[in-house]
Amino acid sequence: MTEVSIEKLTKDYGQGPAVNAISLKIAEGEFISLLGPSGCGKTTTLKMIAGFEDATAGAIRFDGRDVVHVPVEKRDIGMVFQNYALFPHMTVEQNLAFGLEMRKIPKPQIREKIAKVLDMVQLAGYAERYPRQLSGGQQQRVALARALVIEPKILLLDEPLANLDAKLREEMRVFIRDLQRRVGITTVYVTHDQAEAMTMSDRVVVMFGGRIAQMGTPSDIYERPANLEVAEFVGQVNIVRGKVGGGMVSTAFGDVPVTGGHADGTELMLALRPEAVELLPVNSGAAGVPAKVLSSYYSGSLVDYRLELAGGATVNVQTFPRTRFADGEQVLVHAPAERFWPLGSAA
Amino acid sequence: MSKPFLTLYCLIIYAFLLAPIAVVVIASFNSGAFLTFPPQGYSFRWYVVFFNNEVFMRAIRTSLGIAAITMVISGIIGTMAAMFYVSHAGRLKETVRIAMLAPLLLPEVLTAIALLFFVYSVGIGTQTMFGMVVGHVLITLPFMFINVSASMESYDPSWSMAAQSLGAGRFTRFRRIMLPLIKPGVIGGCLFAFIISFDVFTISFLLKGVGMSTLPIQLFDYLRTNFTPEAAAVSTCSIVLTMAVVVISEKVLGLRIHRF
Amino acid sequence: MNAAPAKKGLGPLLLIAPAAVLIGVFLVLPYLNIVVMSFRMPGQGTPYAPGFTFGNYGKFFADSFYIMQVVNTLWIGFLTTFLCLVLGYPVAWQLARGNSAFRALGYALVLSPLLVGIVIRSYGWTILLGNNGIINRTLSSWGVIDGPLPLMYNALGIIIALVHVFLPFMILPIMSAIQGIDPSLELAARSLGASKLTAFRRITLPLSLPGMQAGCILVFVLSLSAYVTPSLIGGLRVKTMAVTVVDALIDTFQWPFGSAMALMLSVTGAVVVIIFGRLTVMKWKA
Repeated sequence: MTEVSIEKLTKDYGQGPAVNAISLKIAEGEFISLLGPSGCGKTTTLKMIAGFEDATAGAIRFDGRDVVHVPVEKRDIGMVFQNYALFPHMTVEQNLAFGLEMRKIPKPQIREKIAKVLDMVQLAGYAERYPRQLSGGQQQRVALARALVIEPKILLLDEPLANLDAKLREEMRVFIRDLQRRVGITTVYVTHDQAEAMTMSDRVVVMFGGRIAQMGTPSDIYERPANLEVAEFVGQVNIVRGKVGGGMVSTAFGDVPVTGGHADGTELMLALRPEAVELLPVNSGAAGVPAKVLSSYYSGSLVDYRLELAGGATVNVQTFPRTRFADGEQVLVHAPAERFWPLGSAA
Repeated sequence: MSKPFLTLYCLIIYAFLLAPIAVVVIASFNSGAFLTFPPQGYSFRWYVVFFNNEVFMRAIRTSLGIAAITMVISGIIGTMAAMFYVSHAGRLKETVRIAMLAPLLLPEVLTAIALLFFVYSVGIGTQTMFGMVVGHVLITLPFMFINVSASMESYDPSWSMAAQSLGAGRFTRFRRIMLPLIKPGVIGGCLFAFIISFDVFTISFLLKGVGMSTLPIQLFDYLRTNFTPEAAAVSTCSIVLTMAVVVISEKVLGLRIHRF
Repeated sequence: MNAAPAKKGLGPLLLIAPAAVLIGVFLVLPYLNIVVMSFRMPGQGTPYAPGFTFGNYGKFFADSFYIMQVVNTLWIGFLTTFLCLVLGYPVAWQLARGNSAFRALGYALVLSPLLVGIVIRSYGWTILLGNNGIINRTLSSWGVIDGPLPLMYNALGIIIALVHVFLPFMILPIMSAIQGIDPSLELAARSLGASKLTAFRRITLPLSLPGMQAGCILVFVLSLSAYVTPSLIGGLRVKTMAVTVVDALIDTFQWPFGSAMALMLSVTGAVVVIIFGRLTVMKWKA
């Protein structure tokens, strides 16, 4: 098992840095996701860790040893590519044997290791197949097996689920996560899909414009986003504005306490997740702000509402479909004070 | 192979590919009576001889005429076939493609022999240009087909459907929607067909009638017995002509010509 | 794309009709006619006489001269193909994977010889290879050789010129095969511990096999049937089968015998191509 540490890592293709002095420590056996929109530098970072891109500046250490000048083939990494990159002219077995042959492992041992890893990815009996004879999900698992069978120091995955359909994608998330736990390998996972990053990772690194915007556990990122950009990228969010006065922010939902020494009179933006808001019937007599249902979207397990508050502001709410409200109906909305998260002053 | 070594190697191969052509061009400016190298001096002497040689001038006219006729016939037949191939062939698609490329895949010399026997067997003979033109159309058809069908591959059939939904009839759809969009492929294919027809040898050689020598045939006959630089001057003019067609079509008209 | 198959009557069929007639009548029938012709009686003063015979084939097999000529032609074809493959592969790789500025120029350089007529290119080689040609004169003026090297009027000259003429037909299919290989396959090999050279040898090279196969078949068939180059470079001394066939038709009007020879050459060539195809069959391809 290996600890990875990245220090002030920079990549510049000549038109300004694509990756801008990022620093990051990945603990032994940790599963970390690099999350961000396309062009944020996440893939470039992964390629630098793998050795496919040379770093313009900075250091990458595996267990304290700087590997910046170590060529890819000597870095001892396992990589899963977005399109799997299975060798089409080799059978599953030959694909899996390739990395072991490069390491001059004797034949009998190779056979043993392949049998074991095929079992692990539930593909025993597929050894003689060619990649084109496998389904997308099976190819994906072969790619994973090929990266793991060499027992690399770290596992790198570059958007490995992007080419699968939605249902399979969810199955594979669980599969990869469980496998990673079982093997206990340090893992870096690149994705632009926030749900993927949240469900799989120990920690998520959100990147924008070549920089790390926030780093933390999935719940840190979701519930306590560092700024507006992160809040909007990770899930849906309502941005609630209000003026600070005496440790409180006065919003359309009422007064919300804030910490962090904001001067009176500054206008603050607060993040409020749609599922944090409760909807109540007007006649329930509970505390809440009156609002009108503009539209609703039913998706089976959940309903999304779009509401207009008394002041004219709109808010998105997500609830379970136990009580349904019709379009145009008057309701009360209530959001607990602790579910508001300050994002900084409004520009 | 290391990078600089590979680059050097490629340069040598490119030199090898260009050498015989460059040699012909240089030799054409030789002022001496024989093909000596390096030339004893430079002059346009052999061009003057060539331009005054009625045999070669007639051969050029024949070649240009046949190439023009071939281009028109091959252009029409090839475009129609490509339209069928792309939007109507259905399960026959692969068959149509192989049949259309057959003249390119079959040895030219065999096709020429087959056609020669055939035109005699059915009593057409080589008294007219018929056999030769048929041969030229056959040999240029694959290039026409490749270019037009390539430009149609990027043609979205829903554009035709959209036009139809807006009330356009079959002919209007072709004239107003499809033709403007596939025009580069058609023109590119036609120009390439022209060049191929202008340069083709074996078919012309076997199917030519009396007094219908094309330029390559005349050159070939001349080279069997003569060694003056006049042949080089003829060749250079032919090279310049074909290169001009390509440069004009690719650089001036901005066409991308598919050769395969 | 091919969503709307044959619909609404005969309209679409009119599009393909002219091409179908052209290819059916002027390509398929004439090829079949060659077979018929090879069994016709040789004529006296006419290309052929009424009646049928196996005599043309008998004549072919009775004379070892013709057999040897087929063997020589095959041999020239093999060597030309092999040289094109070995010389062309690095260029194809460079065109497919090299840096882009150089690539466009290289591509144009490979294609441009195809735009120059075959007669002119062969003529260029006679200027280079002749006894008084550039190569011999240069070498003797440097004092490297005493007499002219025999570069022309022999198989060597034919092969040099054929390699030149057909090299683009080898380079282009290999180039497109290499371009079709997903570059991430090489990266994957590297990530598994393969050096650049090993990644090339184990991944790129075998995956470009379809391109090599296509190029080899194309060049081999083209060189068997080449007429202009062998007849200009080989002169009267060295004749390939295609030259003998055409001469038999044009100069001596032996159409039935010429057909028999052409068919024997075609059959041998086809057998070689089929064997080659069997030997290089790729199980991993669909």
